[in-house]
Amino acid sequence: MCRAKHGSILRLWVACWLLLLFAPAAPAGENRYVLVLYSNHRLLPANLEFEAGLRETLGESAELNAEFLDYPRFDGESYMRALTRFLREKYALRPPAVLVVGGEGALDFVLSHRAELFPRVPVIHAAVLRSFLKSRPRLPADMVGVPIEYDFPGTIELALRLHPHAGRLVVVTGASAQDRAWEAELRGEVSRFRDRVSAEFLAGLPTDTVLKRLSELSSDAVVFTPGYFEDGVGRQFSPREAARLLAAAAAAPVYGPFDTFIGTGIVGGSMPNFAAMGRQAGRLVNDRLAGPGPAPPAAPHLPELMPKAVNVDWRQIRRWDIDPSAIPDDAIVRFKPPTLLETHATEAVVAAVVLLLQGGLIAGLLFERRRRRRMELSVHQQRCELAHASRVAVAGELTGAIAHEINQPLGAILSNADAADLLLASGADRRDELRAILADIRQDNVRASEVIRRLRALLAKQPVDWHPFALNDAVRELEPVLRAEARRRGVGFELRLAPTATILVGDRVQIQQVLINLALNAMDAANGLPEARSAVAVSVERDADRLALVVRDRGHGIAPEHLPQLFDSFFTTKPRGMGLGLSITRTLVEAHGGRIWAESSPGAGAVFRVEWPAAGGAGTAEPA
Amino acid sequence: MTNPTPLIHVVDDDESLRTALLRLLDAAGFNARGYASVGDFLLQPPPDGPGCVLLDVRMPGPSGLDLQAALLRQGNPLPVVFLTGHADVAAGVQAMKAGAVDFLTKPVEREVLFEALRRALGRDEAQRAGRAEAEQLRAAFVALTPREQAVFDRVVAGQLNKQIADALGIAERTVKMQRAQLMKKLGATSAAELGRLAERLQHLPD
Repeated sequence: MCRAKHGSILRLWVACWLLLLFAPAAPAGENRYVLVLYSNHRLLPANLEFEAGLRETLGESAELNAEFLDYPRFDGESYMRALTRFLREKYALRPPAVLVVGGEGALDFVLSHRAELFPRVPVIHAAVLRSFLKSRPRLPADMVGVPIEYDFPGTIELALRLHPHAGRLVVVTGASAQDRAWEAELRGEVSRFRDRVSAEFLAGLPTDTVLKRLSELSSDAVVFTPGYFEDGVGRQFSPREAARLLAAAAAAPVYGPFDTFIGTGIVGGSMPNFAAMGRQAGRLVNDRLAGPGPAPPAAPHLPELMPKAVNVDWRQIRRWDIDPSAIPDDAIVRFKPPTLLETHATEAVVAAVVLLLQGGLIAGLLFERRRRRRMELSVHQQRCELAHASRVAVAGELTGAIAHEINQPLGAILSNADAADLLLASGADRRDELRAILADIRQDNVRASEVIRRLRALLAKQPVDWHPFALNDAVRELEPVLRAEARRRGVGFELRLAPTATILVGDRVQIQQVLINLALNAMDAANGLPEARSAVAVSVERDADRLALVVRDRGHGIAPEHLPQLFDSFFTTKPRGMGLGLSITRTLVEAHGGRIWAESSPGAGAVFRVEWPAAGGAGTAEPA
Repeated sequence: MTNPTPLIHVVDDDESLRTALLRLLDAAGFNARGYASVGDFLLQPPPDGPGCVLLDVRMPGPSGLDLQAALLRQGNPLPVVFLTGHADVAAGVQAMKAGAVDFLTKPVEREVLFEALRRALGRDEAQRAGRAEAEQLRAAFVALTPREQAVFDRVVAGQLNKQIADALGIAERTVKMQRAQLMKKLGATSAAELGRLAERLQHLPD
């Protein structure tokens, strides 16, 4: 156990040595370490934006670290001393290659403590006011940067742009020397807007008075303030604090020129852009890192000032009901809550996908249902078409009988008319006879029309008409045509109707077609038989629970091997048959809830029976 | 020989049509009689006067074609005009082959109908005239003596007087005399005319 412990310690030693041996030693001349010192605290939006711009420009080439002085929250002699000692000890072993300072506070700090902290490290300053630089001694040559300036007229311009109907511009300034300097500057600037708004100054007043005045403003006013350091009664403020108080009290929108005001309740202003400052600082850092040694290259190309950008607070835009389309396109909009899609992208995508799938499923089901309905309809329609086609074909077969049925009365009419003509020409007074002729003509006319009406009812391509009807009537209606056809073929025809109710629910014409098909088949079977057997019998039969249509012939009957196929499509024993008649017949019968079958003993004829269960109970009375 | 008014026999099962036809024929001055079926017509005593039959084709029971065939079998010379509700070719061909005068379709124009009936009646009249002439001829022929008939047969067969005399064993002069005699009795003026008469005698019904 003891030996084992010593062994493991030994192994640790060896590992440490190996690590030291092979660890990459950073050469002194290739220090690419950049330290950024910010005036304020780390979560200030300005700092975040600045750092984003800086990182974007430095890329992978530099290692970046940041320190925050946390002004103005922390201040004072002892804080400064402690901070200086902390930074010195922290960076003694790893001094940065370049130091970037953000803001006047950080620049001031470095100017005071550079000798103790980073004596030979080049400094890049950023986000430092030009006025601040001007108030200090000239910076050493290895401290460079592009200063910024506050844009009072640009901010007032923004206010008037976002409030096109504003008639009053209220300018609030303070009582300190700096405040007075700003007031003087502003009095000069507002004269530019004289023809658009009337300007009034609340300068050097007690804060309470200012707040009261602001709270009484009408809706046609806008407020501009750079904040102030001291009010009319000597109270000290930071401009930011002042701006917060003013914005909270004002009954009109407040605009300010400083980035620090954003978030205090002001609507916005024209301010230098912090990301741009970061990018500018980044470019300068890159120059330093690329330069030969600590000696800074001359920088005559540096711009005099950082460009400004419009910043607005989205919450204030909403609060003052400002038209968002009036905000300049290049404005930076702060505090705009991210949309649902931005905050919950995954959930949104998943929800969208689920919705899409669900929608697709529903659409698919609907489509499927529609397709099925269409198919059902088309099957139904096909049946109607087929039935119609077969009726037309049957009508062709019946042409002789029909022509006979129509020509008979037409012949009588013509002859009667001719007779009347001749009677009149003879000059004799035969009024009674003429009257009888006219009566006969009328009667024959009715007879011919009736044939045509029945024919049309049979042949019309009408939609299926589902109604209760008496089977007896439907059969009776066809009697003349069938009788005529039988006579034409020299076949006997016998009809027997049921004595009781024969109500059937369905399409009368289709049932008539069933009868025609069966009757013509029977007549075909009776064809060429000796007279005693050449006969067709049709009967409507009714018993307690069934209604039947029966067609009998006394022909050669059906061969037993043909019985099973009898109702199949394209089965026929006739030389010119299509084999569709009985198939259609069965389709029609089954569509009416009935069934059809054939009985036959060879040599003794065939019987076709169509049966329906009796509809609506046996008691349904048939109208006489 | 009195010539009674010809009678038109209308056979049609359709009462309305039959009535109309009878009216029309009556108004046009024809003499007509109606029958509801072939059986009705056949039950009547066979008409012997002049006339024709106006016949429907399709009727319950025996058809018009059946009646036409029956009349032919009976040797009834009545000409037939068919009037049908639906002209089918087969029935038309059969009717015309069996000697129908015409095959008309209902409804029929009255002039067409009258023209057909007039033709039928004309044919009937001609047939009757021919039959009367043949009867006369037969009577004359029967009135010849057996010797005259024998001479007639041979003359018609184209034999010369001398050949006839030799065959019958009589004098050629006798043959000449009997030949003149029979020509006078039959009303013929030449041997060629005798030949035509002989032909007609052969075609007469018994």
